[in-house]
Amino acid sequence: MYRRTLTAALAAVPLVLLSACGGGGDDADGGSGSAAACEPSGEDVELTFVTWVPGMDQVVELWNQKNPDIQVTVQETPAGNAGTYNNLFNGLEAGTSPDLSQIEYDSLSSFRLQDGLTDISACPGVADAEGQFADWTWQQTKLGDDGVYAIPQDSGPMALYYRKDLFDQAGITTPPTTWDAYYEAAKQLKQATGAYITHFPQADANWFTGLLWQRGASLFELDGDQVRVTVDSPEAQEVAQYWQRMIDEDLVATNLQGFSPELYAAWTNGSVASWPSAAWGYSTIRDNAASTTGKWAVADLPQWAEGDQAAGNWGGSTTAVLSSSDHPAEAAEFALWLNTDPEALALENELGGLYPAATAGADLPALEQGIEFYGGQTIFDVFNAAAGEVDTDFTWGPTMTDTYTAMSDGFTDALNGQGTLVDTLTAAESASRESLEAQGVPVAD
Amino acid sequence: MATVIEPATADPSAGAPARRRTGRPGRSNRAWIGFVLPFLVPFVLFYVVPICYAIGQSLTKTERTGGIFGEATTRFAGLEQYGRVFSDPGFREGVGRVLLFGVVQVPVMLGFALLLALLLDSTAARLNRFFRIAYFLPYAIPGVIAALMWAFLYSPQLSPIVKALDDGGIGIDFLGSGTILWSIANVVTWTYTGYNMLIIFAALQAIPQSVYEAAKVDGAGALRTAWSIKVPLVLPALVLTAVFSIIGTLQLFTEPVVFRAISTNVPSDFTPNLLAFNTASANNYPLAAAMSVVLALATFILSSTFLRSTSKRAGL
Amino acid sequence: MSGSLAQRASRAQASARQDGRRSTTDSPLAIGIAMVLLIIAAVYFLVPIYWLVVNATKTQPDLIGSNGFLFSTWNLGRNLSDLFSRSDGIFLRWGLNSLLYAGLGAAVGTFLSAMAGYALAKYSFRGREALFTLILGGVLVPATALALPLFLIFARVGLTDTYWSVFLPSVVSPFGVYLSRIFAAASVPDELIDAARLDGASEWRVFVTVGLRLMSPALVTIFLFQFVVIWNNFLLPLIMLRSSELWPITYGLFSWQSQVSRDPSLQILTVTGSLVSVIPLIVTFLALQRYWQAGLTAGSDR
Repeated sequence: MYRRTLTAALAAVPLVLLSACGGGGDDADGGSGSAAACEPSGEDVELTFVTWVPGMDQVVELWNQKNPDIQVTVQETPAGNAGTYNNLFNGLEAGTSPDLSQIEYDSLSSFRLQDGLTDISACPGVADAEGQFADWTWQQTKLGDDGVYAIPQDSGPMALYYRKDLFDQAGITTPPTTWDAYYEAAKQLKQATGAYITHFPQADANWFTGLLWQRGASLFELDGDQVRVTVDSPEAQEVAQYWQRMIDEDLVATNLQGFSPELYAAWTNGSVASWPSAAWGYSTIRDNAASTTGKWAVADLPQWAEGDQAAGNWGGSTTAVLSSSDHPAEAAEFALWLNTDPEALALENELGGLYPAATAGADLPALEQGIEFYGGQTIFDVFNAAAGEVDTDFTWGPTMTDTYTAMSDGFTDALNGQGTLVDTLTAAESASRESLEAQGVPVAD
Repeated sequence: MATVIEPATADPSAGAPARRRTGRPGRSNRAWIGFVLPFLVPFVLFYVVPICYAIGQSLTKTERTGGIFGEATTRFAGLEQYGRVFSDPGFREGVGRVLLFGVVQVPVMLGFALLLALLLDSTAARLNRFFRIAYFLPYAIPGVIAALMWAFLYSPQLSPIVKALDDGGIGIDFLGSGTILWSIANVVTWTYTGYNMLIIFAALQAIPQSVYEAAKVDGAGALRTAWSIKVPLVLPALVLTAVFSIIGTLQLFTEPVVFRAISTNVPSDFTPNLLAFNTASANNYPLAAAMSVVLALATFILSSTFLRSTSKRAGL
Repeated sequence: MSGSLAQRASRAQASARQDGRRSTTDSPLAIGIAMVLLIIAAVYFLVPIYWLVVNATKTQPDLIGSNGFLFSTWNLGRNLSDLFSRSDGIFLRWGLNSLLYAGLGAAVGTFLSAMAGYALAKYSFRGREALFTLILGGVLVPATALALPLFLIFARVGLTDTYWSVFLPSVVSPFGVYLSRIFAAASVPDELIDAARLDGASEWRVFVTVGLRLMSPALVTIFLFQFVVIWNNFLLPLIMLRSSELWPITYGLFSWQSQVSRDPSLQILTVTGSLVSVIPLIVTFLALQRYWQAGLTAGSDR
């Protein structure tokens, strides 16, 4: 019968397959980008640009009208970690990628490790542009040496979004200025209103990293020719212990994924009352909890010690010239325009909700106005102040994907009471080491 | 997940049609090449070559000279990556999880499909056409969309079902750490039951009337007819649906990916396929390739073992 | 006892033709129970689809804020016009892409499978079983294992991010060959082939006039199942394609879903888009129902 045929046939699969795979062999890849001379070709060029900022096609259209000799085609893709990085990495491995791409700060190092970035420091205009950007954003693009590997696009200085009405109801009249006060507020809030003060998102490892950033707990150090892994630092453990206590005492919602409809429903019905988040988050709340208009306000992120002014950053992207580009000078020119031209910045803010990395962005009319949803508060004053306080020394590792993965897997356990956030750091530290070693990167002890 | 259509009355000679060949060999012996080649060329290019490529890649590792961002070279590493795969607790847990999933979900789904097929086969209602289509409809819905829909129905905040259960005093968190696997199982069951049901139903419909006459002579009732005649006759169809369900289970990917976005309980190594994908995302191609090869081998061992044991026991 | 019943059954089967449906004398109670079970099952299968239909008509705030099983503010027209006008009508483009990948891919794939299956069933040659085994092995390979190396290979020949990168791998269906072989063996009698040959027909002509004709109901089945597999394929476009104008509809919807946090209006569009995208599939299945249901039983009609 057929089944017997199938059984017999399947039994022979490995043999046949092995013999079908004759020889093989792999070739070496790699080679570092060099800061070679960077001159425009003087010819008409066409560039491709990968981005997932909504409305970016309209910004690029503006460029194309003004620059007939450098025409840019936009490829709108899913967000980086939703598949685009994969696609770009694969393309690098295979030697096919676009000229430019949006790349988040935390992934720059990974791209450099895969030999995906061009050092554009020698390209016209790049060196002079340093002063136009928030210090830390420019610092991030240097990746520990003298090169410039991308142009900062936007950033995510963090502050505290909170439901003023619920806080008032619980008798919390001034927003908590320290994390200790935040903890006390969480208890008060839970008792008075039944609401959680915030949610602990399992997947947003970069949110947690933003909080580590504020504490000065850099995840890595690029130490000469070696990478030092400091994921499990004492400072990081302090942050972990703090949030572990919030979880243990049931003061934060543990079953709400970030950016999920559930979370939005919780914001809408008042069962979650605040969100330590980035500047770009203002539209997330506004658009997804529209019926709570006028009830939210923004305050500085709580501090670890009274009187401090440390800020954290969550997210933000750069525009990077990829190593496969034949026209780095033109690509760099476009990237600079995209991220410094006032008209472009205004459009990006309007259509894509970006908080610009360029300091000139703070003067955008849209960022100076009071926002109706936040009761008319000029919330960007808070973020502008925070942007100036973000630690410039924070460093990402070249294998952040694995570090993040280990973190969010650890969060899963911690949120289920099968481990703690401190365990998470330990696991993430060793996972980071392993993955660095798998990439052949020298790791300091 | 793929499944098979197996005629209930298989032709015993199909496995070896050679016995019946009577044509003129001189002419026909070469003609097969023309028929097979158009399939074989793309098959080799798009199946065999990539597999060989993956096997080759799984035997390598990356080394780097000249500091952190130094030049990378690919070196032969023997079975090093395989050692890593087997010593990775996440991989082992993932395999354990999909096995558990398969042991529960596949029998439930096929039992359900068999029950529906038998019910449809023995009731001559006009509504049967409607039922068949209703049951089969989920198969036409892409996995991504199916998972998105169920995500809303599972959501603790948004689901009318959860709300109704809650009002009835039953508080269930479909997305909790203990339940998420079974919530995913439900989505898979929902999608593929109708499809499997149709295959079994087709096999049932192919049983000729005279068989039942024979049963009547023996005085068998409806239940007994179902159990003693119908089920044995559709067993080949059942076994094959089972094999392909097992294959599908081990490759579980789309549903966990979608549920990751709404549940805090789907880690990156939830299923081996998800882990392999995430490993590749982290640029560790050699390890990802080794995982895929191990997974393919495991799939093969399981499905062929299953086939062999069932064919002995069922005496088919 | 059951053994003997089954044996008698298969003997009877071998000689009998399929005729009118049976009427096992069931009590009204048994029929009643059966109907209740069937209806419960129908509810289970249809509820999520009902949810999709209901929510595709809602506004974005109602999607989050109103009961999922009840209609709310009727906004379907607006959703549809938003859906089709978003990014210069990219949704329609995705739909056409999906039709192209799935429709043409399944058509070509079915034809290739039919030829190969026919040859494997009706010709004897050295290495035939080994070849069949190799092809069957293709069924077992995990999609991730295949898609990544395939990307790297395609990139070397400059095929990534083109229609071909998704289309070409889609036409290969080892499973289709397996089915074709079974169907060819079961439904194409050797006598007919020999008779055609005696009439002086070429091997190709024999295949087309005898083989294809007799296998056609089965081929519709293979076509439809491959159509669904390609239509639902998510991983391959995810890995191969970057340009949104090449995406199939499932990947397009996924990418919208992934941007929801930046642009919440995409959420309702994803829901409406999902509904619109399954309609062609359902219509195809209903339209071809007669054929594929015949195809399912094709092997056993003898």
